Amino acid sequence: MAREKAIPEVDIVVDEEKGVIREVKPVNYRSKSAHERRVNRGIYAILIIMSIIWLCPFVFLVLQSFRCESGGQVNYLIPKQFGFDNYIFLFKESNFPKWYLNTLSIAMVCAVVQTIITLSVSYTLSRMRFRGRKLIMKMILVLGMFPGFLTMICLYFLLKQLGLTQAGAIPGLILIYCASSGMGYYISKGFFDTIPKSLDESARIDGATRFQVFKKIIMPLSKPIVIYTILMAFMGPWGDYVFASYVAFGRNESYNVAVGLYDWVNTNDYQGYFTRFCAGGVLVAIPITALFLALQRYYVEGVTGGAVKG
Amino acid sequence: MASVTLKHIKKIYDNKVTAVQDFNLEIQDKEFVVFVGPSGCGKSTTLRMIAGLEDISEGELFIGDRLVNDVEPKDRDIAMVFQNYALYPHITVYENLAFSLRIRKMNNEEIHRRVCQAADILGITEYLGRKPKALSGGQRQRVAIGRAIVREPQVFLMDEPLSNLDAKLRNQMRAEIILLRKRLDTTFIYVTHDQTEAMTLGDRIVIMKDGFIQQVGTPQEVFETPHNLFVAGFIGSPQMNIFEAELTRDGDVYSVEVQGMKLQLEGDRAVCLRERNVQSQKVLLGVRPEHVSIRFDGGENAVSGTVTVNEMMGSELHLHVAAGAEKNVILRVPTIDLTPEQRASLNAGNQLNFSFASKVVQLFDPETEQSLLWGGAAE
Repeated sequence: MAREKAIPEVDIVVDEEKGVIREVKPVNYRSKSAHERRVNRGIYAILIIMSIIWLCPFVFLVLQSFRCESGGQVNYLIPKQFGFDNYIFLFKESNFPKWYLNTLSIAMVCAVVQTIITLSVSYTLSRMRFRGRKLIMKMILVLGMFPGFLTMICLYFLLKQLGLTQAGAIPGLILIYCASSGMGYYISKGFFDTIPKSLDESARIDGATRFQVFKKIIMPLSKPIVIYTILMAFMGPWGDYVFASYVAFGRNESYNVAVGLYDWVNTNDYQGYFTRFCAGGVLVAIPITALFLALQRYYVEGVTGGAVKG
Repeated sequence: MASVTLKHIKKIYDNKVTAVQDFNLEIQDKEFVVFVGPSGCGKSTTLRMIAGLEDISEGELFIGDRLVNDVEPKDRDIAMVFQNYALYPHITVYENLAFSLRIRKMNNEEIHRRVCQAADILGITEYLGRKPKALSGGQRQRVAIGRAIVREPQVFLMDEPLSNLDAKLRNQMRAEIILLRKRLDTTFIYVTHDQTEAMTLGDRIVIMKDGFIQQVGTPQEVFETPHNLFVAGFIGSPQMNIFEAELTRDGDVYSVEVQGMKLQLEGDRAVCLRERNVQSQKVLLGVRPEHVSIRFDGGENAVSGTVTVNEMMGSELHLHVAAGAEKNVILRVPTIDLTPEQRASLNAGNQLNFSFASKVVQLFDPETEQSLLWGGAAE
C-alpha cells in the first residue's frame, strides 16, 4: 500500500525537442494482492478436483475397454493385460455392428429432418404474425413440460397399427423422434429474434421470396444455432433407450446400441460382458465427441456484427 | 420511374391502434417527396405500406397505374434504404450490391457493370471486397444506397437514412443525396423527423402528426403559409414564437395588438381575413425568430422584455427574451451589424425592445389551432 501512495497521479515529462511539458499517466503498478492470489488458487484447486472427478468415469471406461483378462468388476484400475479383445468381440461375435448402424442411420436421418423442421418452425414463429401464433407457442411450451414417455403406450399401439414396431422399428423410431421436433423451436427462435428484422425486409424488397430470405440471409447468419440444432437432433436418438427398447421390443436386429448393450446385463454371464460393454460405450462416445470437436468453434462465433449500426 | 398514388390509406394495427388516418396523396413521376413529423406520427408506417412491408388496412395504393395493395414487396419494383442500413453482414460489399441482381438471375457481366457503376457513383469502389463490419457508418450507408441504385427501381424509398450518422457526415450525405437524385432522376419518397432535411431535400413536404397529414406543400409554402400551429412550430429552427394577441376588425381594416404593439394587417393577409370574414377575436400570433428585429432606437410601438439567455452561434446571436406572458421569445440577430455597445446591451439580464412587421405574422385560432390566413380549415 505504501508503494501505491508513493506514485503520483500524473507524471510530468519535459519533452526537450518540442520544448513542451507533457503529462504522462503513470503505469498501473498495482499488482494482485496476496488475498486475490489466494482466492484464485483456491478456485483453481476446486476446479481441478471437479475436473478429475468428472473425468474419472471416462478414464475408467476407456481403460476397462482395453482390459483382456476376464472378470466383471476388479479392484484395480490399470488393466494387467491390454488388448483389443473386447472390440474384436463386438465386431465379430455380436450384433453390435448392426446396432451401431441402426443407431447411426436413425440419428443421421433425424439430424437432417429434425433440423429442417425445427428451424422452419422457429423462423416462422419468429418472423411471421398469424392468428393463434402466441397460443401455439404457449401450448407447445406447456406440452413440453410433460416427459415424452408418457405417450409410450399410445405411440406403441399407433406404430403397431402401421407395422412400425419390431421389424419396422427403425422407420418407426425416426417417425417418433421427428414428429415432435417442431416443439424444440424455443432456442432457435430466440436466436432468430436477435437477427434484425430489417435484414429480412431489405432482402424481400431486393426481390427475395421468404424461402430465399431464409436460405440466403438467415441460414448463413445462424451457423451457431444450426449446428446446435443438428447436434441436439443427433444426440437425442443416439443415446435414447426408452423409446428404442419398446419399439424394437425383443427383436435383436432392430436394437440400437443403448438397448443392445443393456441387453447384456440381462444375460447370465453379465460379469463376462462387462469389459465388452465398456468397449461398446467407448465406440458410442466417438461420433459425438468427433462432432463436438469439429463444430465447437461455431458456438462462439458471433456473426451478426456489422448488420446494423453497432 | 413512376407515380405513386395513395387513396384513403389507413393503417390499423391488431391492437386497434390507428397509425395512419385517411392518407391521400398523389406523388408525381420523378418527384422527391419528404414525409416529416415527430416520432409516432405514422410517416414510417406509410412508407412501409408503400414498400409492402405492412399490410394496408383500408384504401388503395397505386404505383404507376397498378393497384399494388396485395402485391409482394419483391414485385413492386421499389428499392428501400433503411435507417440501420440492413446490410447483409456475411457477404462482401460487392455481393451486397449484387444480391438483388443475382436473385433476378441477371448475367454476371451485367451485374458486374451495374455494381461497378453504383460503387463509382458513391465512391465505394475500394471497399467492394470488404465485409460490412469493416466499414464506417457513412460507408455502410453508402453501400445501403448503392444496393438500391443497382436495381434501377421505379421508386426509391428512404427511411431516415441519415439518422444514424453524426452531424457532419449527415450534412455531407444530404448534399450527396441531392446530387444522386439529379443523377438518377426518379421518384423518391423520403422519411425523416428532421425538418432541415425535409426542407433541403424535398420538392414537396408532407407534414404528419398523429397519423394525419397536417399540410402538403413545397418547402417554401409550408414555411411561409403554415396551415396550423403544429406546422408553424415544426418547420423552421429555432421554432416560431407564439404570442397571445387581439385581432380587431374595423370595417375592412384589420389590426392586431400584441403586448401594446399595434400592427395593421395589409396585403394578402388582410385579403385572406376579409375573404374568410374573420371578426374581431383573440388570436395566437406567430412570428419567426429571424423576423423579429431589435429596436435600439426606443420603445415606441414595440414589445419590451428581458434577455434571459444569450446564445452566441457565430454569425448570429440567439436571444431568449421574457416578454410579458411569453417567457421564451427567441430572436435571431445577425452579429455582423452590431456595434460593440449594442452587443454589450444584449447580455442576459438587460432590457430590450423588439418589433416585427405585419407582413411576416401568422394568425391562428386559439381553439382550433388552424391558421386564420391559409388552408381550408378556417371556414
